[in-house]
Amino acid sequence: MTEAGHHPEVERAGLVANERVAEGVGLAVFDAPRTASAIRPGQFVHLRIAEGAEFILRRPFSVYRAPAGRLEILYQVVGRGTRALAQATPGAVMDLIGPLGHGWLVPEGTAHALVVAGGLGAAPMGMLVEELARRGVATTLAQGAPSEGRLLARELFEATCRRTEVATDDGSAGLCGFVTELTDGLIAADRPDIVYVCGPEPMQRIVAAQAAAAGVPCQVSLERLMACGVGACLSCVVSTVSGRKRACVDGPVFDAAEVVWDPCEDPEAGA
Amino acid sequence: MSAAVDMRVRIGALELRNPVMTASGTFGSGREYADFIDLSRLGAVVTKGVSLEPWAGNDSPRIAETPSGMLNSIGLQNPGAEAFCAGDLAWLATQDVPVIVNLVGHSVEEYRSVAERLDTEPDIAAFELNISCPNVDAGGMAFGTSCPAAAEVVRAVRAATSKTLIVKLSPNVTDIAEIARAVEAEGADAVSLINTLLGMVIDTRTFKPALARGVGGLSGPAVRPVAVRMVWQVAHAVGVPVIGMGGVMCTNDAAEFMLAGATGVAVGTANFVDPAATVSIADGLERFCVDRGLGSVGDLVGAAWPERSA
Repeated sequence: MTEAGHHPEVERAGLVANERVAEGVGLAVFDAPRTASAIRPGQFVHLRIAEGAEFILRRPFSVYRAPAGRLEILYQVVGRGTRALAQATPGAVMDLIGPLGHGWLVPEGTAHALVVAGGLGAAPMGMLVEELARRGVATTLAQGAPSEGRLLARELFEATCRRTEVATDDGSAGLCGFVTELTDGLIAADRPDIVYVCGPEPMQRIVAAQAAAAGVPCQVSLERLMACGVGACLSCVVSTVSGRKRACVDGPVFDAAEVVWDPCEDPEAGA
Repeated sequence: MSAAVDMRVRIGALELRNPVMTASGTFGSGREYADFIDLSRLGAVVTKGVSLEPWAGNDSPRIAETPSGMLNSIGLQNPGAEAFCAGDLAWLATQDVPVIVNLVGHSVEEYRSVAERLDTEPDIAAFELNISCPNVDAGGMAFGTSCPAAAEVVRAVRAATSKTLIVKLSPNVTDIAEIARAVEAEGADAVSLINTLLGMVIDTRTFKPALARGVGGLSGPAVRPVAVRMVWQVAHAVGVPVIGMGGVMCTNDAAEFMLAGATGVAVGTANFVDPAATVSIADGLERFCVDRGLGSVGDLVGAAWPERSA
């Protein structure tokens, strides 16, 4: 699976829906047929939320789903940009650059996958679980959130995955604890062919270590502050065993074995 | 059909098809933007800073958004001169656009060495000597904030290359005109300004600086009035051409720099907002001249000076 052949372009995208789906989380739906038809699971778009000098930088967003010429984006309100997005109403037009980046890879012969989503880590997983289902891959989903009401994308996951397991910090659904307490057992017991992870970086790091210990390939989707989104400015670098790579074009999905998680272990840190 | 405007400008030995170029560090090698624009529409591509050996750059986070601007602390991450020549330069050579390579070093000797190494590359049209990056501990801005240090590094690089030599100046000085005069005296063919202004953002949630390195360089429209003032001062102080930059977002901003005395204009942060900003501004400058009945874009250079309109 490759994104080759789909060059990014600027597309004017019309906001057709924008709803709060959980505390501090929204789902924005854009009419963007060119990008929607080209985008692959795990790729992202670089959105200009507002015009004018106050918003100098675009904001990168994973695409949750891309059905019928539309882009669905799950976002968490974390700052000025996402606050402005949450306040936007249908009819607004924003320009976006997409599709961007390297997304999830599904190796030939994959029969069983484990998908791990922590909190907003569900955002890049919609297209992935749909792709896995289309390919007949038996998928187990492990999801974590602070509470039941903040478990995102439940309907889609339950409809497309063979098995779903959840953990919540407050025990309001599933295991009372972290999703990493589920994944250890799932990797050991189910022996998936591959593990896909997105969520807070400490969680990704733990799951990556669990997969590595079991000898299972693992891919992670990493988030960085980003300016250009096209590989030019080097704002969004990720430390890897082969040097600092750009989350925007070399990622956002990386082979977990490649990632240097601990800044202290980055051979290039402080250079 | 409107009367054709002569959009060509001259920087040292270079004749550019129009005054619009890219600001170093915001445009990669140009390859990253080839999906969005035809590079042959630009006056020149100014590459990211290139050092003799690979540099890893600074730790993350490397950027922060600010009112009408942004801070960056990339730290001149680059793969070194050999990898640059084999990769980006080889690709740029296939494009119909003059290539200006931004040169960086930690010491006079490193600046001299990288200039000497790249001087042999026929696909490089000119060098931009970066003595103004605020994001490295050694070299960079340290050379651009004192007249003797600036003169010394320009002298060494001038001796190592016969290519057109542009020197990029730092705004983090008391009197930028005296630095400009010092580098002109050592043989600089042009000066470019401004590099970013040293700044800082502190995150009030974490009680820590937003950037891993603490400080970074401020760019974007917030710095434009400072940049226009400095271009005005430097263009009055030196005889060589001035390339103006600092928050150029649209055609009018570019025209403003030329009216202040700039012969060329570089577009930086605007590339992040609109990947086609450079070409839009080049086209816009031509219309700007047509609308005002100017036969040459050069007619704008310094046209705001009182002595010119007298």
